[in-house]
Amino acid sequence: MISLAYLALVAALIPLASILVETIFRGLSAMSFSFFLEEISPLGEPGGGIGPAIQGTLIVVALASSIGVPIGVFSGIYLAEFRQARMASVARFLNDVLTNVPSIVLGIFGWTFVVVAIGWSVVAGAIALAIMMIPIITRTTEEAIRLVPATMREAAIALGVPRWKTTLTVVLSSAKKGIATGILLSVARISGETAPLLLTILGSRFWFSGFTQPTAALPVAVFNFSQSPYRLIDWPRAWGASLILIFIILAINIIVRYATREKYGASNI
Amino acid sequence: MSRIIDIGLEELSVMLCRMGELTYQAISLSLKGCLNGTNEHSQVCEMSDALVSMSEQAEDKAFELIARFQPVASDLRTIKSYMKIAYDFARYGRYALDISYINEQYGGLKHCEHWILEHIEKMSEKVLDMVRISIDSLRKHDVKLAETISKTEKEVDSMYFRYLDELVKRASGTNKCTISSVLIVRYLERIADHATYICESVVYVATGQKVNLR
Amino acid sequence: MSYKIEIENLNAWFSGKQVLRDITMKIKENMVTSIIGPSGCGKTTLIRCLNRMHELTPGAKATGRVLLDGGDIYSEGIDPVTVRRRIGMVFQKPNPFPMMSIYDNTVAGLKLNGVSDKHRLDETVEKSLRAAHLWDEVKADLGKSGASLSGGQQQRLCIARALAIEPEVILMDEPTSALDPTAASKIEQLIRVLSQDYTVIIVTHNMQQAARVSDCTAFLYLGKLVEYGSTKDIFENPKSELTEKYITGEFG
Repeated sequence: MISLAYLALVAALIPLASILVETIFRGLSAMSFSFFLEEISPLGEPGGGIGPAIQGTLIVVALASSIGVPIGVFSGIYLAEFRQARMASVARFLNDVLTNVPSIVLGIFGWTFVVVAIGWSVVAGAIALAIMMIPIITRTTEEAIRLVPATMREAAIALGVPRWKTTLTVVLSSAKKGIATGILLSVARISGETAPLLLTILGSRFWFSGFTQPTAALPVAVFNFSQSPYRLIDWPRAWGASLILIFIILAINIIVRYATREKYGASNI
Repeated sequence: MSRIIDIGLEELSVMLCRMGELTYQAISLSLKGCLNGTNEHSQVCEMSDALVSMSEQAEDKAFELIARFQPVASDLRTIKSYMKIAYDFARYGRYALDISYINEQYGGLKHCEHWILEHIEKMSEKVLDMVRISIDSLRKHDVKLAETISKTEKEVDSMYFRYLDELVKRASGTNKCTISSVLIVRYLERIADHATYICESVVYVATGQKVNLR
Repeated sequence: MSYKIEIENLNAWFSGKQVLRDITMKIKENMVTSIIGPSGCGKTTLIRCLNRMHELTPGAKATGRVLLDGGDIYSEGIDPVTVRRRIGMVFQKPNPFPMMSIYDNTVAGLKLNGVSDKHRLDETVEKSLRAAHLWDEVKADLGKSGASLSGGQQQRLCIARALAIEPEVILMDEPTSALDPTAASKIEQLIRVLSQDYTVIIVTHNMQQAARVSDCTAFLYLGKLVEYGSTKDIFENPKSELTEKYITGEFG
C-alpha cells in the first residue's frame, strides 16, 4: 500500500521536476544583463532582451491586484460575517461559478467590454485578470475568517468592542495568514495567465507607454517567441522568459510567506 | 493571597479566644464571690448565658466551614477540636454558674472553718492556673505549654481526694460549709478535667496525636 | 446592602426553544454570587443575558428587564456595547489573543476602543496585572505572546484584560473548569479578593466550588430559579427538596 503511494508520488513529481529542470537549463542560456534590460527586438533579429515584458507583467499584475484584492477581501469578509443573509448564498454560488470560468472567456469579456471601448490596453488586461482573482480571494478569505475561533470574537465583543471593529481588527489580524495565502495563490495564478492577456493587452516590443496603451507581458512574450520560425534565436528567448516568469512567482511566494510568518512560536491554545 | 478557608478558621479561632477570656472571668468571679462572701450570681449568670450562646455560634460556624470548604487534614482536625473546645468552654461557664449558685444559696465559705477555706483557696488557685494555661495554649497553639498541664492536673486530683478524706475525718456532721465545700471541690475538679481536655485538643490540632494528659 | 443588578421576569429562547423561564432575582453589590445547576439548566444563558451577549447568537431572543444600578440594559436606546463595558466577562476556556503580547492582551479593550496614550496604557497594564495577581510572574517580559503562558496564567491574563476596562460587574462562565486544581484554587482565591471591588457572578457546575467561593448561590433547574439565598443556607439547610437532591448528588 505504501509503496503504491510512493510510486504515485514519484509519477507526479517527474513532470514537475522535468519542467523545472528543462526551464532552468534551456532558459539559463538566454540569461544576461541585457536580457533583462533591453527592448524586445523583432522576431529573428538577434540581440535585445525582454525588459518590457517583465515590466509589463509586473504592471498588469499590480493593477489587477489593486482592483481584485480589495474587492475579493471585502467580499470574503461579507460572506463570512453575514453567512445567513439571502444575498450571501446567491453571492457564494456566483462566486463558485466564476472560479471555474475558462480564462479565454474572461479574455473575450475584457475584449468586448474594454478593448472595443478604449482599445488594446493595460487597463483591459488588468480588469480581465482582476475578475479572475476575485473569486479565488473571496473564497479563501471567507474560509480564513471562518477558521478564526468564535472564542476570539467573543473575547473582543465582551470587552465592549463593536462587532464591525472586532471583524476589522481582531478577526482579520488572526486570519491574515490565510488571507495572504489566498491572495498569493491568485497573484501567482494570474501572473502566468496567457489567454486573457492575448485578448486585451495585445503585447508589444516596447516599454510601458500608458495605461490605455498595449504593453508587453511575459506569457505573451513566451507565446510569441515560441511561434517564431526563427528557432535558434527566438526559442531560447521563450525559455528565458519562462524562467523569469517562474522566478517572479517564486519570489512572490517567498515574500508573502516571510511577511506573514508567525511572530511568536506556535500557540499552545 | 490566603486560602479561602483561612478566613473562616480565623473567625472561629477569634470566637474561641473570646470565649476563653470570658470563661476565665466567670470562674474567677464566682470563686472570688465564694471565698470573699460576695454575691456575684447575677453577673456570673449573664456570663454563662453568653457563653452558651457563643458556644452555639462557634458550633454553627464550624459546621458552616465543613459544609462549604471540605476541609481535610490539619484543617479538619482544627475544626473538630474547636468544636470540642467550644463545648469545654461552655462547661467552664456552667461550673462557674453552679459555684456561684452554691454561694448564693448557702452563703459561701467566708465563715467556714479555716482549714476548709485554706483548702479551697489553694485548689482554686491551681485550677484557675490550669484554666489560664488552657486558654493560652489554645491561643498560641503551644504544645509545650499544653503539656505542662499534666502535672498540675495530677496535683489537683490528689488535692481533691485529700480534701474528701479530711472532710470525712474532721467534719462534725453536715452543714452549709460541708455541703458547699464538697460541691465546690467537685466542680473545681471537673473544671480541671475540662482544662486538660482542652490541652489535649490543642496537642491534637498541632500534631495529630491523641494524647492523654491525665 | 444595595443591589447591583436586578433581574425581572427574564425569559430567553434559542430558536424557539425556551431556555429561561421567568427569572427574577437581585444580585448584591460587591459579593460573589454563584449560579449552579445541572447541564442545560440555563445558567450560561442567564449570564450571557446580563451582558447582552445572548442576543448575538442567531435565533436567540430574550424578554424581561435587567436593571444595572436601576437602569434597564434592555431598554430602547441602550447600545449593548456600552453595557459590555460596564459588565465584563471571563470565559471557560482561557482565550487570550494569540497574536498579541501579554501587554497588548491586557489593554486590548482599551486599545481597540481608541486609547493610545502610552502612559495611561502602561499604568493600566501594571494595575490590571497586579489586580489579577499575575504581575510578578510576567513583569519580566511583557512582550511575550499571550498564548505562551500556562493555562492558569492565561486565565488570569483574561481576568486582567477584563479588569482593564474598569467594569463594575464581572461575569465568569465556569472560569476554572479547563484548569488543573492548583491553578483553579488560585483563581478561586482571586475571585474572593476581587469581590471587594467588583460584583462577581460566577457560573459553575462544580457545587463545591460554589460553596467555597460565593456569598450567595442560585440554583437553576430546567430554566427556572428554584432557590436563591446565602451560600451558608443553601448548603447547610436548603429550603427546596429539589435543591437538597441536587446538592447531595442524587441527580445531575
